[in-house]
Amino acid sequence: MAKLLDKQRYKCALGAMQTVQAITRAIPVLHSGPGCAQKLSDSIGSSGYFSPNIFPCTSINEKDVVFGGTKKLETTIENALKVIDADLYVVLTGCIPEIVGDDTGEVVSRFEDADKPVIYASTAGFKGNNYIGHEQVIDAIIEQYLEKSEEKEKGLVNIWADVPYQDLFWLGNIRELEKLLVEIGLTPNTIFGYNRGIDQIGKIPKAEFNLLVSPWVSVGNMKKMEKKLGLPWLHLPTLPIGAFETGKFLREVGKFAGIPEETVESVINEHENYYYYLIERYADLFLENRVINKQFSVVADAQYALGITKFLANDLGLVPAKQFIVDDTPKQYREAITEEFKKLNFNLQAEVIFETDSYKIHEQIKEHDYHGYPLILGSYYEKELTESLKGNYLNISWPVQDKVVLDDFYVGYTGGIRLIEDIYTVAVQRFN
Amino acid sequence: MAELRQIAIYGKGGIGKSTTTQNLTAGLVEHGKKVMVVGCDPKADSTRLLLGGLAQKTVLDTIRDEGEDIELDRIMREGFGGTRCVESGGPEPGVGCAGRGIITSINMLENLGAYTNDLDYVFYDVLGDVVCGGFAMPIREGKAKEIYIVASGEMMALYAANNIAKGIKRYAKTGGVRLGGIICNSRNVDRELDLLRAFSKELGTQLLYFVPRDNIVQRAEINKKTVIEYKPDSNQAQEYRNLAEAVINNTKFDIPTPMTQERLEEILLEFGLMDSADDYHI
Repeated sequence: MAKLLDKQRYKCALGAMQTVQAITRAIPVLHSGPGCAQKLSDSIGSSGYFSPNIFPCTSINEKDVVFGGTKKLETTIENALKVIDADLYVVLTGCIPEIVGDDTGEVVSRFEDADKPVIYASTAGFKGNNYIGHEQVIDAIIEQYLEKSEEKEKGLVNIWADVPYQDLFWLGNIRELEKLLVEIGLTPNTIFGYNRGIDQIGKIPKAEFNLLVSPWVSVGNMKKMEKKLGLPWLHLPTLPIGAFETGKFLREVGKFAGIPEETVESVINEHENYYYYLIERYADLFLENRVINKQFSVVADAQYALGITKFLANDLGLVPAKQFIVDDTPKQYREAITEEFKKLNFNLQAEVIFETDSYKIHEQIKEHDYHGYPLILGSYYEKELTESLKGNYLNISWPVQDKVVLDDFYVGYTGGIRLIEDIYTVAVQRFN
Repeated sequence: MAELRQIAIYGKGGIGKSTTTQNLTAGLVEHGKKVMVVGCDPKADSTRLLLGGLAQKTVLDTIRDEGEDIELDRIMREGFGGTRCVESGGPEPGVGCAGRGIITSINMLENLGAYTNDLDYVFYDVLGDVVCGGFAMPIREGKAKEIYIVASGEMMALYAANNIAKGIKRYAKTGGVRLGGIICNSRNVDRELDLLRAFSKELGTQLLYFVPRDNIVQRAEINKKTVIEYKPDSNQAQEYRNLAEAVINNTKFDIPTPMTQERLEEILLEFGLMDSADDYHI
């Protein structure tokens, strides 16, 4: 029987137009109905070289459904190439042409000899959400644009982490991960954000390996690159936030890349000295306040639920209540992710729930005894709920309504400190 | 004036739906009935015998070339005995969505006022099996309330008929559509009449009429005519007149009871059509 899904926290696969948009000077060319892009583009901070949602689109109608929309698609691509100065044109298909059976690949193949690369990704909404759509776009780049390179650049590492725009900290996070790799002597290569684009995409095959920092998103992309481009990959499921996980992160990357241990340890040491200097200065606040109680819940995608749970448990010594993963994680990854939540310090384990229905999540939060004010880190959907429970609330996952993030981030040592600042800002505001 | 009867004809591809529909139409015309035939098949060959050729421009061709602002006479032609003939048409094979095409063209016919008060019958001659929602259009939204399935004693024809019955049952619950019976277009297989009777009974319906096989049908087709027009005095012409009468007088409309594949095969076995494995000899 059909059920009502209350306030899900993702969009359909065509939402991957945001992934394309995060690649500087790449433009989505939509083969979809006229309203799709408008409905999908509610993220802020996405205007720039191209608009947030005014993309070339076939805007298919009933006539195209009956007779097929391939002709319209061909002229749309043709004209996009003429009037839009982009480096990469990514055709994204919506539900309608996929159901009708338009052969988008064949149409796109007619542009093989165009001056600029044109590729396509199948992002019909019925194929899954925008996390899956993100993977489809990366897959399209691998399959249709990249070629294996015999030439390798020493120390070059491709980093893959957050889904742009779905994660509001995507830009800051990826830059911080880059910085950490530079510090241990590696050369990071990423394709999203300022000053990253087609040139960085071109460098992907020259890397020594791929580094995936994500519990499940892009695992398929890594396997594809391993097969096609011969790129080995290191999978670190936990987004490193704070000293404990970042140290672990640097050690594992260093080991995989063959960086001397002492180099890695000296970087870690320098960061930790400053990190604990700050913690020490504010230890009174952390220990004495009666506002941040011991128990917390994170309501976020697998990336943030895992990263933040580990940080709050390992670095701040808070006790996890139930954690909620809301990204509709594919079943084959769930067991491994659940295991990760058991690997916490101080013999702690976190119970993790995979749930996309906000009503059910909220019911479970209401039922739980947090032994004081609940600390809820989630989306805007949790704001009212947390207020009704007199809890402390921080908006860290999509949808985001009460926060503006330009390039703030929670990754690494600095990111951990930022998260502490944000949480305790909420705490001190309570009675002030 | 009698109420308009809208009838959809379904059946396995190649079973003779178009031939049967057009000959039946010719029989109804002789009774003075006003009939419209709507071909719901991208091949657009459902009205060839009534029109004396395929020259008809389809609804969808017209929409494609001229847009939706057209007059009814651009897509409707008058055929044998004043029948009104329309072909829905469809996209090129392998592209687009023919099912949606049928929905589009039937809506178009309604908008253009093709369903006039003087009509007694509208026939929808629908492609092959019910392949997707679009091909069920004639029985959805209260259009055709009466369905006949053309079948023969061949296994695949019965298999398809049973499948179609599943579709009818689905829409019967909400739309009031009913199965008027099975029309056998004979292939001269063993015990065909017995088999079709048993099959119809199991399906909770009747064998409305058994049309015997006669090569005169093929000769008439080559001449682009219905049998009634081609050889009005032949036995086969009389058969189609009888079929028309059976349709006119039919008052038995049922919600079908489709059977399982196992039960269907049991019936086939019982009537000697399928050899059981034990009888298999080389």
